[in-house]
Amino acid sequence: MRGLMKNNFYATLSGAKILSVIMILIGVFLAVVISPPLLTNYIILGIILHSVSAVSVVKEEFTSKWGKYKLTLPVRRAEIIESQFLNQLLWMAVGTLLSAAVTALSWLLHGCPFDTWFDIVTAFVLGISLSLFTGAVYFPLFHLFFHSLGAERGDFFIVLCLGCAFIFDTIIVSLINYFVEPGVKNRLFGIVILLAVSATAYALSYPLTVRIFRRREY
Amino acid sequence: MENILELEHISKSFPKSNFMLDNLSFSLPYGTILGFVGENGAGKTTTIGCILNTIMKDSGTVRLFGQEMGDNDTELREKIGVVYDGDNFPGFWTAKQLSQIMEGFYSHWDNALFQKYLTDFGLPENQKIKHFSRGMSMKLAIAAALSHHPELLILDEATSGLDPIMRDEMLDIFLDFVQEENHSILLSSHITSDLEKVADYIAFIHNGRLILTAPKDDLIYHYAVLRCKESQFQALDRADILAFRKREFQIDVLVSDRKTAVKKYKDIIADHVSIDEIMLLLVKGESL
Repeated sequence: MRGLMKNNFYATLSGAKILSVIMILIGVFLAVVISPPLLTNYIILGIILHSVSAVSVVKEEFTSKWGKYKLTLPVRRAEIIESQFLNQLLWMAVGTLLSAAVTALSWLLHGCPFDTWFDIVTAFVLGISLSLFTGAVYFPLFHLFFHSLGAERGDFFIVLCLGCAFIFDTIIVSLINYFVEPGVKNRLFGIVILLAVSATAYALSYPLTVRIFRRREY
Repeated sequence: MENILELEHISKSFPKSNFMLDNLSFSLPYGTILGFVGENGAGKTTTIGCILNTIMKDSGTVRLFGQEMGDNDTELREKIGVVYDGDNFPGFWTAKQLSQIMEGFYSHWDNALFQKYLTDFGLPENQKIKHFSRGMSMKLAIAAALSHHPELLILDEATSGLDPIMRDEMLDIFLDFVQEENHSILLSSHITSDLEKVADYIAFIHNGRLILTAPKDDLIYHYAVLRCKESQFQALDRADILAFRKREFQIDVLVSDRKTAVKKYKDIIADHVSIDEIMLLLVKGESL
């Protein structure tokens, strides 16, 4: 597992370095400028983009023979999938921390940048939920259709999965708004549900992906 | 002699391409090199896939170190080094990063040995692999395959991107490797001159079927090609003919026992035969 995590980390780092630098620069700008809508988008995007850069590593591995080579190393197929999921969680955490740092800096400079602390939590939960749904859909789909569509079309998968994640979140948020009465307590309950559903989808996606990957031939 | 690798009745079909590996059986004894020869698309890589479980066989048994290797048998894979043709590693890595990553996979990864190979092969440690030439990439893959002290090397067209001088150096390394009596190499290649230099056994595969397996020395010293005229060909004992190929002015006939053929057919020229020519006769020729 150590080798797999190192492999995923280096692979993600090569793409995420530039992304992180750009996000830090934008973050500093947003911390100085007071704009709650921009900061909300920044929080969500920061988490999603770091998460997606980790997810896209899977595609990169199959554009060389490394994806096949890894199967000859002393690791189990389930561990390969596990490392892909853990890598996404790791980079999602990096994105979350970066967004949190920018939010904290903005708070330090100008006070709370939103009307309530609850808006900040909502933005973070949305970013995390979208990331989890993206991974939950992408991993099984990529391994299922890799042979018929090819690794080069991995970017298409990512866009497709992001789209699915937005649709899932929109449906869940709409249902929460429909069934849950307004009020901070109820809204908190709503975001807990959103987080729980996306986390459950992510957790269920793992055994499904393992099942698919065990049957794949390379 | 015990075998490090045994394949028994391996079959694998690909309905979409109509290709199938058909009942393949061969073995690789400890301390030897087996050259796995066949034209492109003959089934060499598929066979290696079945050995390494990157492809699921339909039927048959593969035994590595005396046991079948499942997904959970990671300790068996610790003892195997693999080199594929082409880009084995992602281009955005450096050789240094490759070593750090491999260290996380193999419990016996030897960084000092890897560094030695990098120096010997003239490979830069900090340059991204995507800037390597094909030959450099192959050398790096061979260095990585050797640096965890494997007992079995499985090389799929590993020398194909190298120039003749570098190929020769690699072949020396392979020969050194099998000096240890518990070490073996399965070397798939269509560069038959390489196999003539290093292989102890040769297995020919064509259209997914194993058409001949024999010790290399038998092929070189005992096999022969008879250069026959049509009338001479007609007079040959059919049991002696392994394969034949009609040329413009003669018919080339592959036989497995040169001495007997020379005695039996005194008026026919019996030439020693190269592995290349055996492959051509077996693949392009006809059999009775």
